[in-house]
Amino acid sequence: MAQTEKYVLNMGPQHPSTHGVLQVQVELDGENIVGAKPIMGYLHRGIEKLMESRTYTQCVPYTDRLDYVSAMNNNLGFCMAVEKLASIEVPRRAEYIRVICAELNRIASHHVFIGSLTNDLGSATGMIYAFRDREKILDLFNIICGARMTAHYIRIGGVAADAQEEFLKGAQEFVNYVPAMLDEYDRIFTGNEIFQARMKGTSIITRETALKYSMSGPNIRASGVDYDIRKIDKYGAYGDFDFEIPLGEQGDNWDRYIVRLKEVQQSANIIQQALDNMPDGPVMAKVPKVLKPPKGDAYHRVENTRGELGFYIVSDGSTKPYRVHIRRPSFVNLQALDSMCQGMLLADAVTAFATIDPLMGEVDC
Amino acid sequence: MWGKGLVAGLKVTWGHWFGKKETVYYPEERLPMTERFRGGHLVLDDKKCIACKLCAMGCPNAALDLTVSVDEDKKRHMDSYKHQIGRCMYCDLCIEACPVKALSWDKNYEGSSYFKEDMTYDAVVEAKNRRGSNE
Repeated sequence: MAQTEKYVLNMGPQHPSTHGVLQVQVELDGENIVGAKPIMGYLHRGIEKLMESRTYTQCVPYTDRLDYVSAMNNNLGFCMAVEKLASIEVPRRAEYIRVICAELNRIASHHVFIGSLTNDLGSATGMIYAFRDREKILDLFNIICGARMTAHYIRIGGVAADAQEEFLKGAQEFVNYVPAMLDEYDRIFTGNEIFQARMKGTSIITRETALKYSMSGPNIRASGVDYDIRKIDKYGAYGDFDFEIPLGEQGDNWDRYIVRLKEVQQSANIIQQALDNMPDGPVMAKVPKVLKPPKGDAYHRVENTRGELGFYIVSDGSTKPYRVHIRRPSFVNLQALDSMCQGMLLADAVTAFATIDPLMGEVDC
Repeated sequence: MWGKGLVAGLKVTWGHWFGKKETVYYPEERLPMTERFRGGHLVLDDKKCIACKLCAMGCPNAALDLTVSVDEDKKRHMDSYKHQIGRCMYCDLCIEACPVKALSWDKNYEGSSYFKEDMTYDAVVEAKNRRGSNE
């Protein structure tokens, strides 16, 4: 009888399905996965440390580079933490524009999720469709702030400049387009039998496991845990809007995909309400040119596309933060990779990477 | 019935095959850049510039290297304005810091170059060249 033994296979950091520079050491028994160990640090730039030598205003563009496919949400998290520290009141109109931008960015980020997931499962067509629609949002960002990805639009005390009529009109057109877009996705991938066979019942994360690993975002909601910071904290203007939190049932790959599709619909719903009730007024609070928050610390968390994004800032009363710590959702969610992959086939590991949706800019920071 | 979803998906792609095109033929056709677009070289209006260096102070990543001289009337002049594209994050903080609005972007999105030296340029020299070609 042939003798068999376990062996280790390195996936990444240059593997196309690891979405960036994630290295995963997969321990295999034949084709079955025994364990998957993520190894990170290939994209570490030391952003937390860099922030200690920049003024508060200068730190904001660095947050764009954390989760670079949802830069607006990162800007929002950092700016709100500084506003909490320095007790700055943000004008109402700015709060609404922030919500519109953050939700548009959430949809754009879910487009990347859908595109890369379908691409990993062998359907390059899916990627083209998702990225075509993402382009519409990036064009809107180009109008409002002049950049497509590294937005640097949300600033301490408000937003960089008022939203133009062209942007608001474009956002309305996009919201009108969302139902047709989701219908097309349903016809092209959600209904596809091969896609369903690869997704349903694979890489299950139970409710208990998700809680144990302190996961957050769509990944924990797919396991049936009702946990969304937008509802819990009602930060910014989120208290004004009526929206639902889509939940999954069993926490498999399929649920994680469906939850994100439904989130796109809910985000469009929030944008519609914000556009309908947009208040007038200034978009920037009176923030001193040289911002010196009082001594102390502040923690603020926002619902980023990938989960709970928190900024902990310690101020020593000077113009620069004494210490910044970032609680990155992708980094924490990645812990579950090992238990997701155990007992699955090697081909399913690719699906698991895609549905956990890690972003290496954020994991390595 | 197994395969029904596959056929439905194929119908969508066939519909687009005969539908409107979403892309343009670059470089023959180019998309216009927006009014707030951030990118390309910095355009310095050297007649307006008061050489206060606030732009360089506002830069988070030290991408600007400026040389300023003071003449006998104690008037400040910008002698050179080196912008290192490789360090630039295109965050717009330099332009927003300018008290006399002497800075703007040239909105050129074709920023790649063959040589590293081409990634640093002098905005004062470019401003003079521009004036020379206009006159």
